[in-house]
Amino acid sequence: MQHEYALEAEGLGKAYRMYGSPMKRILEGVTWGRYKGHGEFWALKGVDFKLRPGASFGLCGANGAGKSTLLKILSGTTAPTVGRYRANGRVASLLELGAGFHMDFTGRANIVMNGTMMGLTRREVEAKMDSIIEFAELGDYIDEPVRTYSSGMGLRLGFAVAVAVDPEVMIIDEVFAVGDMYFQKKCVDKIYEFKKHNKTILFCSHSLYDVRQLCDEAIWLNQGECMAIGESVMVTNEYSAFQRHHIGEEDVTNDIPMSPLAEGGARELPHVVDARIYRMGTDEECYQITTGDSIEIRIWWKNPTPAETPIHVGIGFMRQDMTTCGGAGTNLSGHDLVGEQGCLVLRVPNVQLLSGQFLIPVILLDGGGVHKYQEYLMPENLVVRTNTRDVGLFRIESSWDDVDLAPPESREEVPQEAEAESGA
Amino acid sequence: MSTAARTPRLEDQEGGPLATVAQRDAEGWVTARAPRAREIAQRIVGFPFLLRAHWDLIATSVKRELEVRFQGTVLGWLWPLFHPMFMFAVYYLIFSQLLDMKIPDLPEGQESAMAVFMFVGIVVWAAIAETLNRGTNAIVENGNLIKKLAFPSEILPLNITVVGLVTMLFALAVFILACWITPVWRAPGVGLLWIPVLVLVQGVFTYGLALMLSTLQVFLRDTLQVVAIGTTVWMFLTPIFWAPQVINSDSLDSMMPLIQTNPVYHLVQAWRGTLMGDLYVVPNEYIAGGFLVSSADVAWHIGVFALWAIAAYVIGFAFFVLSQRRFADEV
Repeated sequence: MQHEYALEAEGLGKAYRMYGSPMKRILEGVTWGRYKGHGEFWALKGVDFKLRPGASFGLCGANGAGKSTLLKILSGTTAPTVGRYRANGRVASLLELGAGFHMDFTGRANIVMNGTMMGLTRREVEAKMDSIIEFAELGDYIDEPVRTYSSGMGLRLGFAVAVAVDPEVMIIDEVFAVGDMYFQKKCVDKIYEFKKHNKTILFCSHSLYDVRQLCDEAIWLNQGECMAIGESVMVTNEYSAFQRHHIGEEDVTNDIPMSPLAEGGARELPHVVDARIYRMGTDEECYQITTGDSIEIRIWWKNPTPAETPIHVGIGFMRQDMTTCGGAGTNLSGHDLVGEQGCLVLRVPNVQLLSGQFLIPVILLDGGGVHKYQEYLMPENLVVRTNTRDVGLFRIESSWDDVDLAPPESREEVPQEAEAESGA
Repeated sequence: MSTAARTPRLEDQEGGPLATVAQRDAEGWVTARAPRAREIAQRIVGFPFLLRAHWDLIATSVKRELEVRFQGTVLGWLWPLFHPMFMFAVYYLIFSQLLDMKIPDLPEGQESAMAVFMFVGIVVWAAIAETLNRGTNAIVENGNLIKKLAFPSEILPLNITVVGLVTMLFALAVFILACWITPVWRAPGVGLLWIPVLVLVQGVFTYGLALMLSTLQVFLRDTLQVVAIGTTVWMFLTPIFWAPQVINSDSLDSMMPLIQTNPVYHLVQAWRGTLMGDLYVVPNEYIAGGFLVSSADVAWHIGVFALWAIAAYVIGFAFFVLSQRRFADEV
């Protein structure tokens, strides 16, 4: 059974039945469904998409938007109510890290149990045992009961088992958001590895960063309906624009948290209206540059209550593996934003970034530079090309020379770190 | 068998093991429709294939289940023996000693007949009752697994069924050992060959009921309470502590057909025939007379019980398959 697509869905929908009381359920049962005792709640209303092998697909949306329901249907734990889908190849899902772990058993025993439950044979699990333990970095703890583990160790073990299944389609609900940075980095690396091997990834996250970084395509769900689908940059921007528009309403999500000062509820928080990159000194928008070009980033911001909520703006240059390569902040430079709105310009002459794709998050901070009001993403990633043969993230100002000098006495003790980090 | 061979096997993993909650058509599309009669039949007949495909999962889960039960206890594996022993001691005291429900005129060397008769009955019944009571909760209790992992959930009641059988066999093995090395009862001989058949039919029967009850419990949480009462009533209706032949002979003629409609009657009698051999009671004014237990009747009892077992399995499985796609939404 070979199909063009790794995963395709047509009009997928899911209704949950709501029974007022158990009696209604009995009545419905004994009348063979003639008596309708239940109400229906449509968690998902007709979603279509097609994913080619190697695609990475992000799901974004507020709580209760139907993201988890969609992932549950696709991973086969629950049936759709309407519509159909088709998967080509083995599907593995990671809806919850460590689901099915038994606390009183050792990590090793849990690997076997969880692995077999995810569809591996015992022999396969045994064969992968060492690599699982290595990935989970549990060391000697692997033979201790899981209840003695820290939550981070449990997460690593759960993720290690799930990725060991090595599926064609990997479904990941927001599971690693709970881990520390190191764990997240590990998961992200693994996901990149999956992508490299032409596997299809479905990924759900509240973090628009993650969706943009990890996914080529994305879908935005709102109350079970598909609001936008397509390139992840476009979808996430549409989603965050929607969130801005709905400030003060009930469904404001984590990207723009409600102000703790808000009284009536319907008040506007400081926010970024728009942000774009231009070639320095011109009005030409530009997202593809060559190392050495000069750019300026214009940020249009709004702050209806500057007296109560002073703001600062931070800008980062992030590589797709979440490495922050550089950044600037008005709080760091001591530049104050006065007034209720304005256009802030960050001039970056002679960009020294080497070739790669960079995400440019614009972060709206409070007066102290601590609380994040908003993370705004540029409509496009910045793509940098390099004409020279420099390696790394940045071009280092450097020059070579030959001189006549004898080696110093204590040469042995000089630490040797010749390992150059290879660029994106 | 040709239909069984075409049953989509879970080990293929074509599109994941989701065939259990939704239906997949020939082109691989997974849709919302309810399973058709043919698909249900395929699942029922194809269960042995699923067993083979998921043998590792089942073996691991049963092992875990057994370990969970005995890990950290002082007596450990002695518990499956102690439990029926204590039950036996209590009931033997009440029925035989206090209520004087003894079998008079027991043949030479078979004075302990009533005790052995009761013991075998209790061990077998304990396995059934435990499987039904624990099996009823099998799905609900593992709600988190059902929601988060795609795996054939029919394995959950199966684990409990197998655990029940294993603990029962352990207690019976100790009994057989005791017969060989002590004079408590004559050692069973070639009749022991019936044991695999008995275990199989008992497993099929209890598994069918457990499938049915665990499904009911998902939709109606009162099921567990009803099962708890039901198994107690059922225990007393079954000749576990009493022998039908000890009933006053006038009423026996009218009672016997009724007693024989109870499938577990046939099961315990088959077990007794296998483990105890013939036990003939001389008729007198209280006793109808005849064989209390007969090794010659084992095949007949197994045959009758097997019909019940198949019926329970088919109905229970069909009910389970029809409801399975709703489990994750209800637990």
